[in-house]
This record gives sequence, structure tokens and C-alpha cells, in this order.
Amino acid sequence: MSGADAILTVEGVSKSFGASLALDSVDLSIDRHQVVGLVGENGAGKSTLLNILSGILQPDTGTITLNGRPAAPANYAAANALGLSRVFQEQALIPNIKVYENLLLSHEGRYISYGQVMRSGEMIAIARELMREAGVEIDVTRRTSDLSFSARQLVEIVRACLVPVRILGIEHPVILLDEPTASLERADEEVFFRLMARMRQIGSLVFVSHRLSEVLASCDVIHVLKDGRSVKTLDPAETDERRLHSFMVGRERDADYYHEEEQQDAAERPAVFELRDLSHGGLYDGVTLAVREGEVLGIGGLLESGKSELGKGAAGVISPERGEVRIGGGAWEAPAIRRLIHQGLGYIPAERHAEGMITAFPVSWNLSLASGADLFSNRFGVWRSAAETRTTTNFIARLGIRARGPAVPCWTLSGGNQQKVVLARWLCRNLRVLVLDNPTRGIDAGAKEEIYGLIRRLTAEGVAIILITDELLELIGLSNRIVIMKHGRVAAIMPAPPAAKPSEQELIALMLSASGGQETRGGGEVAA
Amino acid sequence: MSKDSAIQANDGIIATPAPQRVPWRPDLAGGMWLPIAAVLALFVFFSLASDAFLTLRNMTGISGQASTLLLACLGASFVILMGSIDLSVGAIVLLVGALTVKVINVADIGAAALLVGLLFGAMLGACNGLIFAFGRIPSFVVTLGTLSIFTGAAWELLQGRALRYASASFEDLAIGQLVPHIPNIALFAFGTWLLMAVVGFKTRFGRYMFIIGGGEAVAGTAGIPVRRYKIYAFALSGMMAGLAGTLAVARLGAAGPTLGQDLLLNTLAAIVVGGTSLSGGVGGVHRTLIGVLIIALLDNGLNLMGVNQYTQMVIKGAVVVAAVLVGQDRGKFKVMK
Repeated sequence: MSGADAILTVEGVSKSFGASLALDSVDLSIDRHQVVGLVGENGAGKSTLLNILSGILQPDTGTITLNGRPAAPANYAAANALGLSRVFQEQALIPNIKVYENLLLSHEGRYISYGQVMRSGEMIAIARELMREAGVEIDVTRRTSDLSFSARQLVEIVRACLVPVRILGIEHPVILLDEPTASLERADEEVFFRLMARMRQIGSLVFVSHRLSEVLASCDVIHVLKDGRSVKTLDPAETDERRLHSFMVGRERDADYYHEEEQQDAAERPAVFELRDLSHGGLYDGVTLAVREGEVLGIGGLLESGKSELGKGAAGVISPERGEVRIGGGAWEAPAIRRLIHQGLGYIPAERHAEGMITAFPVSWNLSLASGADLFSNRFGVWRSAAETRTTTNFIARLGIRARGPAVPCWTLSGGNQQKVVLARWLCRNLRVLVLDNPTRGIDAGAKEEIYGLIRRLTAEGVAIILITDELLELIGLSNRIVIMKHGRVAAIMPAPPAAKPSEQELIALMLSASGGQETRGGGEVAA
Repeated sequence: MSKDSAIQANDGIIATPAPQRVPWRPDLAGGMWLPIAAVLALFVFFSLASDAFLTLRNMTGISGQASTLLLACLGASFVILMGSIDLSVGAIVLLVGALTVKVINVADIGAAALLVGLLFGAMLGACNGLIFAFGRIPSFVVTLGTLSIFTGAAWELLQGRALRYASASFEDLAIGQLVPHIPNIALFAFGTWLLMAVVGFKTRFGRYMFIIGGGEAVAGTAGIPVRRYKIYAFALSGMMAGLAGTLAVARLGAAGPTLGQDLLLNTLAAIVVGGTSLSGGVGGVHRTLIGVLIIALLDNGLNLMGVNQYTQMVIKGAVVVAAVLVGQDRGKFKVMK
């Protein structure tokens, strides 16, 4: 279908990072005035492909043809000049300047007199014109940081869509939209889709989204990426969400991989960790849950569902504004990480490099990190280095951490082994509750399975586990019960015994469903 | 192409850390050979360049001068290791020096004046720490402010004059020689340095300083009481500055308005030249001794060679910038502010 009308053609593009292949000979063609949908799981290669198209990464092999000419942008500015613009997943606006300055960012040179003086009146007029054309009602003279998150996202969308045509004079821009609707409010979504329809008149769009219904509704053609390859090209008129999703996942859940036969029957056992009415400034609201001894309570939901924030709140890393927790039937108290650690809680954050470990430091230092107040120092504050080395050596052997010794800095370890070090930090303590946020993010399949095995072993010892994860298969495979969160609230709690695991489609439907109420499935119970 | 390789592909994007050029080693001497070589080179150079350098008298002099600097640096090294900065060290030396002389002149408590100095210093440092930790203001700003406050308060006390004291036992603390040719202040400085090096390596406080400097967010997530240890570090920095101030006035026989003025640059220079990174988490108090020797040798040697004050400032500044250029892992920063 790479017809004569193609504006952008991608042929045989591959990209590898070290030993791993992120994109494997991908072909893609985008026609003039076409909206192309790009879907796939996390890590399927969507962002890598967009990064290559927008000049942020360079392909190892393959060619990109834009408007009949080969294009190899060396950076984002070069891609911009060619007529490729992008809305990034993370916002790329400068918060402390005016909206119009952000809209015309890096094009100020056109509005400067005498070398330095900005003709701000002219800039404001042009910015207003852009907003009017886009159908967006935002005062361009406001400070960007005073706008809501959703409004800032709209500003960014307007910039990516209209600046190439109206300012740079690009004849037929290609606009790359990476999850543009993830942070938009309802009303702004409508504005966005109207703008998208208008943009199709003057250019082409690539639309990446996890919201399959939006992709189906707004695209002319949908490409499914999986494991770095373009596996399927679909006509949205002849497909539905279910089929689309089955192409994205394209594999069956493997009971062995998640050690499902080892799943504990925890239904009758006492609750170890209870949350009561946890709320925090719109991120999560009124969450009441309980985890039992030996149980894995999985928490799923979209990126903005508040599940990670809930994990931080429950563990007391960022104390919630309202609500209490208790461990083992003790006193209800507002969560505070230090006291909870003392009572037997462990917390593993999703961002391993920013919050989980200090990679410049040795394995032993990272392992002892949470136990400095008790296990590894005496009451005079003298560090017990010998005990630290002994425990670390012990855990390197027990968990099969591939490190030459306790003194090796952690940055020499692979992601999977790093995560095992972070786990060992809690395993060396008397653990009763473990809160895990995406514990297998960015680690390879073998290490994943080892971590799943470890989680099972912990539950066999009676540890209660809260598993917050974006990976549906992991959520289904490991959990005894699954909590689905939506807009900061518990939308549903469903049981997931080994014999009757819910399907991914069921969970996705719950995550996306419009109703805000709490649903429970047969046998499901609303916790405490 | 299997699912495994896709997951590994994912691994490649997210987990592979940017290769760091300088591997971090927990051993004592890691990365210290360059500064040690610099000390030896300076020593040899000044021995050849000036006849007066390699004499017993001059060596005794150097040890006295270097001691104040070393004492003042010991606590501040922990603060920098923790990723913060203490600009008020010199001002605390001045204010505590002035306060101690006032106390001695009211009641000659002799050697007990040391305790007074430690206490005053710790209190001033704790002020820095409390404002920094609870006010969530950058330590640079807090200590720049208190630098001015403490200096002003001290000048207020001194009324612009040098305040003398007359107490033989107090004087003996610094310039007496328990060991021949080595002033007592040098013994104090070296002993305190040893103690602080042990604190850095063998205690929870020392470990937490490394960890807060290496990754404050990680420390917080693991339940380390970050705020409390920040206050401890500043209090210790003030306490060491107080000790330095007390012994400095004991050595000089008076608290003058210019006391501690050169310490603002010299403490930072010695710590950084010694190899403790301003970005935090790298270095250690034990290294500061080497940095102090470099700065003290430079001061003394350039003086003996007759290099004027202004040229000395130029040279010292250049040494500091060069040391940071050579030693710092600049890949760690995306934006330098």
C-alpha cells in the first residue's frame, strides 16, 4: 500500500540497544491526509520508532523517505525543519514563561528587532491566531504553569500541529502524537479530536495510544507493533478492540511462567496489611483494601489511575493526606515509611535508578540501605561491616545474583540482578508485607521468572504482597485477587484463583469502562 | 524473533545505565594517587625553590597553619559528601573565636574553653541545619545568609578590634608542644582527623552521608531519616568550625576581625582538591587531609618565594578549578547550575 500518494515511507528500519533488538526491520507507509494508528504493548517499539522519525535516535539500518526524498534527521530540530513534529509523552513545555512564548519556542528569531528586542505584540497576535484556528480557548498571555495539566497538553498539541504549517511554512507536515490523550480532560479531548480532524486536511498524523477505542474511531489504518516488528496492518472498519488486542499480545498466558500452581489459598487467612480510606489530593481517593497472609493482591489500572501513587501512600513514602493503615491487626496509624519498615513492611519503587538503588555504590551498601537503624549498626551507631558483608555474600548465593562479590558497584549488574539486590534489601529483614511497584520493569524474561519464583516463595512463608503493575499478564498470573483502579478509585475487585483467572480483555474493559462505580464479580468481595 | 528478545529489547531501553567512566571503588586510596602525587611534587618543588622551606622551623609553622584549616574542613567535608555545601565555616570560626575569648576574659576556664567552643559551634551549625532541612532552602543560600549574620555578629562583639586574652593554660592548648617541634594544635587536628575518618567509614552517620549524597530519593524511599541526618551533618560542621575557632585564637593570642576570612575559599578548595565531589556521594573526610596539605603547602611555599598576595589568589583559584575539572564525574549532571 505504499502508493504514489505516500508522504512518509519507512523501509527496513532496525534499531538495537546493546545486544537487544528494539526494532526489527520495520516497514511503514503514511499517505497524504491519512491518520495512521500505531498500537502495541509497552516495549513493542512504538516509542523507538517515533524517536527515529523525530531524529532523536538514528536507525542502525533502513531508510526513511519523506516527500520523495531520503530523510535522516540528526536531531529533533532537523526533523522539525523537514516537517516532522511531535507531541511527547512527557510534557516539553517550559513552565515559567508565557503560553505564547512556549507556542513559538525556538522560533523567536522571526520576531526579533535590533538583534535582541522581541516584538511580543506580534508574537501574541500570531499565537492567538493559532489558538483560534485550533479551536482552543486558552489565553496565550498566561503563565504556562498556571494552566491545568490538560490545558498544557493542548498547548503542546497545538504547537506540534500548527507551528510547522503556519510558522515554518511546511506544505504537508507529518505530526507524531505519542499518547496525546492520556492526560487530557473530557472536554479537552473533544477539542483535540476536532483539531485532529482539521489537521488531516493539511497534513498526515501518526497516532499512538493505549486507548484502542480512540485509535479505532480516529484512524484510517492501524499498524500493530509487537516485539519490535510490525506484525499486522488493519483496517479499523473491519476490526474491533478484542481482535486488535489479541494481535498486540499474540501469546497465551503461561501458567508455569507465573508459578501458578504455587499460588497460596489465602481466602481464609488473616489480613496482615490493611488500608483504610487512603486519599491524597486527587491522585487517589477513599481507598480501602486489605491483603491477607500469603496473598498477592494485584493492582492494575491505566497510567493515570493513581495506582503507583497509592503504593507510595500505603507504604508511607509520600504520606497521604487522609487515611490510616495497620499491620497485623495493630493500631491504625497514618502511614510513615520508617515506622512501617520497623513493623515489617518493604517497598520497591518502580523507578529503580531514581528511587530504588544507588548504582554507583556497592551491592552490600544497597542491600543494607533500609536496615541501617537496626540490623547493620549497633546501639552506638557503629556500622557492622562484617555482618553486612556476610549477609550480602549470603544473599548473592541464595538469590543467584550474578555479581563478583559484595563490594562490586551495582552499575556493573544487569537490570534483573539489580532488582534482586533491591529485593534482598527487604528479604534480609523480618518481612510481613511487601509493596511492589512494577518489580519486573525493564528486566529480561529469565530474571522475571526468577523474581516471580521469589514472590511465590515469600507468599509460602506467609508474606502479604501488594503487586502494582502495568503488565496485564503479570497481574493476572501472580495475583490472588485483582484490584482495578480508575481515576484514583477502586473500580473493581475480582478473584483470580489459578483455575479461573480473568482474561486480559475483561481487565481492560474494566480499566476503560465509563462507569465510575465499584463492580465485583461472582465470589469477589469488597475488602474490609 | 521471540518474546524473550523483545523483553530484552525493553531491557536495553530502560535498564542499561549510562556507562560511567570512573568506577566507584570503596577502597581507601581509590582516586587518591593524583592528590598525593601533587603533595609530593609541591614539597619537592618548594624545597628546591626556597632555602627557607625545608627547615624545622618552617615545618612547625606549616603544621600550625594547616591545623586550623584541617579542623575547619572536617565537618564541612561531611556536608559536601552529603551533596550540600557549608559556606559559613569561616564565619563560625570567627564568631566562636570571639565568643570564646569573651568567655575566657570573664572567667579563665583554661582548657575547658574547648568545650565552650565545641558547644557554640554545634549550636550555630545546628541553626544552619534546621533552616536548611525544615525550610527546604538550598544549603548554599542558607549558609550564605548565616555567613553574613555570623560575621556581622562577631564584628559587633569585637567592635573592629582584636580582642586579646591572658590565659597561659588556654594558650598552651594550641602552641604548647607535648611532642617536640609539633604544636599541640597539630596533634588536635590530626587526632580529630583520624576520629572523623573512622566516623566516615565505620559508623551509621558516615554511611548515611554517602547515601544521602549518592541518592537522596533512594534514601528516603528506604526509610532513612534524611532530614535528621542533614541537621546532624551541619551541626557537626559547626562543631568542628567551633573547635577550629577556639584553637585558632588560642594559637594567635587574640580574636581579630580578619580571623577565618581566608577559610571560605580554603575549606572548599581543600575538600574539593582532596577529591570529595561537590555533587555528593563521592570522596570522604579521609581525603581532606591531602587537600589541606596541598593548600597549606601552596600558601606557605608561595609566601616564602615572595609571590605577592594577589598572584597567590590567582594560583589558588586556578588549582581549585583544575582539581574539579580533573576529578569530577561531570557525566552525572545534565544541567549545571
